[in-house]
Amino acid sequence: MPDALAVSGLTAGYTGRDVLRGISFAVPEGALVTIVGPNGHGKTTLLRAISGLIRPRAGLVTVFGADMAGAAPHRIAAAGVAHVPQGDMLFPQMSVGENLLMGAYLTTDPAEISRRQDEVFALLPKLAERRAQLAVSLSGGERRMCGIGRGLMSGARILLVDEPSLGLAPIIIEQIYGVIAALKAAGRTILLVEENPARVEGLADTVHLLDHGGIVWSGAPQDLLARAELMETYLGG
Amino acid sequence: MEILGPVLVSGLTTGALYALATLGLSLVWGVLGMLNMAHGAMLTLGGYAAYAVVTAAGWPAPAGVLAAVLAGAAAGVLIHVMIARPLVRRSPETFETSVMIATFGAAIALQNTILAVAGGQPLGQPLSLSGTARLGPLVAPWQNLLIIGVSIVLMSAVALYLARTRGGRAIRAVSQNREAAALMGVPAEAVYLRVLALSGALAGACGLLVSSLTQLSPTLGSEPMLKAFIMCVVAGLGNIPGAIVASFALAMIEALVQYHFGARWGFPVLLGIVILVLIWRPTGLFGRATVQRL
Repeated sequence: MPDALAVSGLTAGYTGRDVLRGISFAVPEGALVTIVGPNGHGKTTLLRAISGLIRPRAGLVTVFGADMAGAAPHRIAAAGVAHVPQGDMLFPQMSVGENLLMGAYLTTDPAEISRRQDEVFALLPKLAERRAQLAVSLSGGERRMCGIGRGLMSGARILLVDEPSLGLAPIIIEQIYGVIAALKAAGRTILLVEENPARVEGLADTVHLLDHGGIVWSGAPQDLLARAELMETYLGG
Repeated sequence: MEILGPVLVSGLTTGALYALATLGLSLVWGVLGMLNMAHGAMLTLGGYAAYAVVTAAGWPAPAGVLAAVLAGAAAGVLIHVMIARPLVRRSPETFETSVMIATFGAAIALQNTILAVAGGQPLGQPLSLSGTARLGPLVAPWQNLLIIGVSIVLMSAVALYLARTRGGRAIRAVSQNREAAALMGVPAEAVYLRVLALSGALAGACGLLVSSLTQLSPTLGSEPMLKAFIMCVVAGLGNIPGAIVASFALAMIEALVQYHFGARWGFPVLLGIVILVLIWRPTGLFGRATVQRL
């Protein structure tokens, strides 16, 4: 049984500059794997390289055993990867309901779409209330929920979530992490990016510490907080 | 009161034609970020395609309408495959400028091909209704009423398609956030192809309608395209409902000015309005600092 998602030797970046240098890790089915590290060290670039928004320069990205590195993002989405991107990237002039429908774009069966929508509304009841409202008029927390809901609508087998706590008030961050805990409990396969390692303690199965485009430490989250590498990564050195 | 009727009919007719020409242009701008300078040539092509099928080949009228629409759509597909796609792949940073120049070249080539094949003399468009309708004090040629009706039906169909269908939603998604649409599984290039084909089909139909009022000539589409640009700029680029409102409003103003001060004052007044709008609201009448997308 291959891992849901496996990355090996992944090198990627932007014109003339590699941000990631030879990253390797795996996400087994049903696991919640977290990438932590300070801002500007390649966490978002890693997710963008996996979902195809940027083309990796080298390495493999396998989704249930099939190599997808360098494929167009819509093909990677069709292979079962849903990317909830940083900053939500909602469709601003569409209603919440239409944003959710776009999430299910690859599904044409109306019964399946309405089943998934019921699931999303059960998990994120706020979205049901805001259903007819334009995405551009939502609050920050509601936008984040809409982004997550849209990702769930795809029925994808792997969910990539990029820093869901970014720019939110502490009480809203708690709600969002409550949603992620519920998804984990439901057996979802999740790759989560987070800046604050303390936030994923007790939630993640495995944590990878990303520093300057490479993984410098991997293990259980409760062990990470006691490691010297953490201090070095966040405080320099 | 007697003169108001003809001015109203003329304003509504040209407004409908401007709106139809603007719709295709604005759609392509909103989704692909490209000013298609060959839009006018696609109008011309539609008019000539109908003429060729009906007059030259002797086929019935519906075949002529179909030919205009299909020729326009085919031109749109070719512009995507031969111009837009290679340019955006080679250098997305310079696409906005390079595609304008390239489509301008395509327009010249298409216009001269038509000139070489059909000749420069004006030809009569066989597809038009004769006679006039009377409604109380109002008198209107059937052809003008047909143009207004067809334009409204086509615009409503496009609006419904964009608002209510899965394919239309994908088009709006690409125009609002290209990357996010790709993450949802929308293949951007297929959407671009569909939008250019749709824009071409609308241009073909519009060209047929324009030529039914005037005559066929190789420069048939130039004036409607110029007017369509004006509507886009006045409304704010990419804003389709605004462009349609602007089309009817400015066509009315043009018709009134032409009636009171003579035909030659129509265009200068339109250009004057554009300049005033750009000074007063640089993003267009209905534009915001960030362009409102589809």
